[in-house]
Amino acid sequence: MTSLAAAPPERRVPRWLARHETLLAAVLIVALAILGALNNRFLTLDNLLNQGRLMTEVGLIALPMTFVIITGGIDLSVGSVVGLCAIALGYSWKNLGFPLPAAIAFAIALGAICGFINGFFITRVKVPPLIMTIATLALYRGFAEGISQAHSVRGYPEWFYFMGQGELFGVPTQLWLLVAAIIIAGVALDRTTFGRSLYAIGANETAARFSGLPVDRIKLLVYTLSGLMAGVSAYVLVSRVTTTRSDMGIGYELDVIAAVVLGGTSIFGGSGTIWGTVVGLVMIQLLKDGLALTGVKGDATIVVIGTVLIASTLLASSLQKRRDVGG
Amino acid sequence: MMKLLMTTVAAAALALTFGASGARAGDKWDGADDLPTNPLACDSSGGGTVAAKPYDGGQPTGAPDKAGKEITLVDVPKLIGIGYFNATSKGMQDAAKELGNVKVTTDGPTEAKIDEQIKFIDNYVTRGVDGVLFAANDPVAIAPVLKKALSKGIHVVGYDANSTPDARQWFVNQAEFNGIGKALIDSLAKEIGEDKGFAIVTSTFTTPNQARWIAEMSAYAAKCHPKLKWLETVEAQEDNVLSFNQATTLINKYGDKLAGLVGMTSVATPASAEAVTKAKLCGKVAVVGLATPNAMKPYVNADCVKSVVLWNPVDLGYAATYVVRAVVDGKLKPGDTSVEAGKLGKLTVVNGSEILLGAPFIFTKANVKDFDF
Amino acid sequence: MSAIAMETRAAPRASLLRRLSSQEVLLAIAIVVLALVVGAINPRFLATRNLSDILLGNAYVAVAAIGMSMVIISGNIDISVGALIGVLATISGSMAVAGYSIALAWLVPVLVGIAVMALQGAVIAYLRIPAIVVTLGMLSILKGGLISVTGGKWITDLPDSFHLADIELFDILPMPVLIMVGATILAALWMRYTAQGRAIYATGGNPEAARLCGISPQVTVVMVFALHGLFAGIAALLFATQLKVIQSTVPPNLELTIITAAVVGGVSILGGVGTVIGSTLAAILIAEIASALVFVSISPYWIRAVQGGLILLTEVADIVRRQRRVAGDSR
Repeated sequence: MTSLAAAPPERRVPRWLARHETLLAAVLIVALAILGALNNRFLTLDNLLNQGRLMTEVGLIALPMTFVIITGGIDLSVGSVVGLCAIALGYSWKNLGFPLPAAIAFAIALGAICGFINGFFITRVKVPPLIMTIATLALYRGFAEGISQAHSVRGYPEWFYFMGQGELFGVPTQLWLLVAAIIIAGVALDRTTFGRSLYAIGANETAARFSGLPVDRIKLLVYTLSGLMAGVSAYVLVSRVTTTRSDMGIGYELDVIAAVVLGGTSIFGGSGTIWGTVVGLVMIQLLKDGLALTGVKGDATIVVIGTVLIASTLLASSLQKRRDVGG
Repeated sequence: MMKLLMTTVAAAALALTFGASGARAGDKWDGADDLPTNPLACDSSGGGTVAAKPYDGGQPTGAPDKAGKEITLVDVPKLIGIGYFNATSKGMQDAAKELGNVKVTTDGPTEAKIDEQIKFIDNYVTRGVDGVLFAANDPVAIAPVLKKALSKGIHVVGYDANSTPDARQWFVNQAEFNGIGKALIDSLAKEIGEDKGFAIVTSTFTTPNQARWIAEMSAYAAKCHPKLKWLETVEAQEDNVLSFNQATTLINKYGDKLAGLVGMTSVATPASAEAVTKAKLCGKVAVVGLATPNAMKPYVNADCVKSVVLWNPVDLGYAATYVVRAVVDGKLKPGDTSVEAGKLGKLTVVNGSEILLGAPFIFTKANVKDFDF
Repeated sequence: MSAIAMETRAAPRASLLRRLSSQEVLLAIAIVVLALVVGAINPRFLATRNLSDILLGNAYVAVAAIGMSMVIISGNIDISVGALIGVLATISGSMAVAGYSIALAWLVPVLVGIAVMALQGAVIAYLRIPAIVVTLGMLSILKGGLISVTGGKWITDLPDSFHLADIELFDILPMPVLIMVGATILAALWMRYTAQGRAIYATGGNPEAARLCGISPQVTVVMVFALHGLFAGIAALLFATQLKVIQSTVPPNLELTIITAAVVGGVSILGGVGTVIGSTLAAILIAEIASALVFVSISPYWIRAVQGGLILLTEVADIVRRQRRVAGDSR
């Protein structure tokens, strides 16, 4: 709550309205309305729920990625972790004989370990996040390809597909998972000390360190979370497409980062919200879908997404300037 | 001290990676999908009789009756942007023009990723098309979305790369896996002789068609050309320059022991031919493979490549379109043994729900200029 | 004579040779050792034909890595270069087939490359949008745009005179190698001995200090990206003129390979360190490893793991070296 004494006398635009996230949500609503008008199958419940199902894999990863980017880091290896965990799931079940639930747990744990390794080298050995995760992008993908030797694992029992293809009360199963994750992540970021410390680290890491925050431990945690969610995402993906392939998850890192950045999180660190990430995620997914339904072909859609990404960051940046100058 | 330890650990990890990859790429090949192989007879008795199996395709539920009416189809190949699928797309357009009451659009991912392909098909299912044509990046992963299409009354016909049979109504097969294996190995053996060495350049080992073809080639070669030495198989994705570099490396590695290169994709074969040309080994190292004629014209005309094996992908797309039309018009039903496909005449049904295009087509110096794809 | 005074006297005139830190030497040693080891397993690896094939086939990566090194030294990154090379190669081939003079078919893509990259640089520098975002967006635009415009049709029927990569000066020096070596040396000298070149290091190392010294970080960044576009354009020409067909798609993973070459070459994203000689040597090493893996029949599935391990190893070694340097200076 800003004190009345500090607030400038004349404020034409309320602060909350000029926030990036709100503006983005407004743009999203307008875009949806236009696309809905152009194609009557777009705004049906059936289609929207289906899109929710399809965006879960990227969405789950976008949540810890928001944390990572707020602290001023980045994680480009998430796509490869998804691939490795997917292979691990299949391999441990088929070749190592794990019972399927154990294989799933193993795959998710492996994701956490991959994230931990990233975090370890970034915090202890001080390798810059960009380079570390580019290295593990290649390394983890390489392990996925090497371990699987290009074999796919199929033939899972029926119950396994419930996560990826099933429904609970009419809503796709994985969407419930995503919503739960969003709520937890949002609360953690907004209401806990942990969340606040992320902003502190991103804004000024040295100051955060000097004020007694366990910076290294926190960063280690967010990278581990990033890997963990990639593991969960792998489980959802395998469940949805009923097979494992070593090329799964290729390109996810770019989709995730696009959603996070679009949502207003600054890549320099120090600001961003889960709500923004969600809007960014939904925006990209529905834009792609809406354009496809309207008859725009795949290649043109990619161009639009790229333009939207740059344009929205431009918008956010200029708003930031105006806020800094005016406030 | 800590940092030194870290460096040592990292170095050890690297060494371990190298050591672990002591799983050497031998000449053993097991198809990467554990299905059995079925090599054909060694003599030129053609394809032999094809087994009559009961119909095993899927069926749409509640498909609207559009017999004789205009239908809109979407074609989602493995990826767009390579000559092969440009050709199948052209065939579909040709068929659509001939039929007059069919509209086909080709749309797909720019990389051969199954997840992207699924999303494309999903979107079109929501959009509401009358039929989906597909060439699958993964036979199992694509099944759920195809079954969804069927459940919404959309017709589903595959070509080039199959899905599980119950996910589509019909699959237009360019040739049997073992037929292609036989054609390639026979062409190769004829050019290089019975006891020489050869190597294979493929796209990726995870592409199901590739895996099957190579498995069949292995089985057929073991059966009918046992003295042929299979030296190695390398991956080069769908990239021209990478294929070229890989082929060049193979030539340098084996020297005189390499008498032939087999290219397994429309990207690998011209690149292999280029590698042989650059190494000034035209005529000494044979290049055989699957490819589109345009890309091979320079090499065929220079006598560097004697023959290019392919089915006609234009015909493949053409046939697939006619099959959908026949299904919608009720002229092709489960249990039928043949279907009329315009200028291609009558095509046979094999393996329950597959429609065979015919024998592989051989492009040579004499006929390559007649084709433009 | 105190140690500090000696340091101050030695520092200003540090020649290019002193700048060649252990990374470049390490790479050169690695290249030779690897060749000898693989040569022992399969002597055909050391045949002139093979060695020259390794260089010729991958020269374009080294050239592109020069530009990428400059970008990283200045404290930025670019992931759109792979897509740009695909686009420029297509432009070049299309012009040649459409009947334009070969000179134009070679010149226009380079100019387009400079323009596109300079634009990105301007957006990064003046509009303060982070490089990762701008280049990510541009990557999508270029990739989608390329397919949209060409429909994926390959370019065949290229005229014979188009093939720059096939030209051999005085019948022995292949163009790609000539360009690679020449560009590397020129760029290295320029970066060390000219004010503009040194400004890149300054901007990357400490932009505030650079600004206080009268260097404009914004102008430097735009210049760096423009140069990056120049080298990308030249790389695209080498790439396009190697084969008789041009595949109008974006070469997969090219930007990753180029970044790997720059990083393994000793260029640090922390800014301010590294030379383009290192990146060229690294590009050669990477190409050599790819060929070596085939020669010793290591399962091709492990290639990516090896690449990743290599980056990691280099980076850790770099960090260790920095720590030691800092510890040593403070004594």
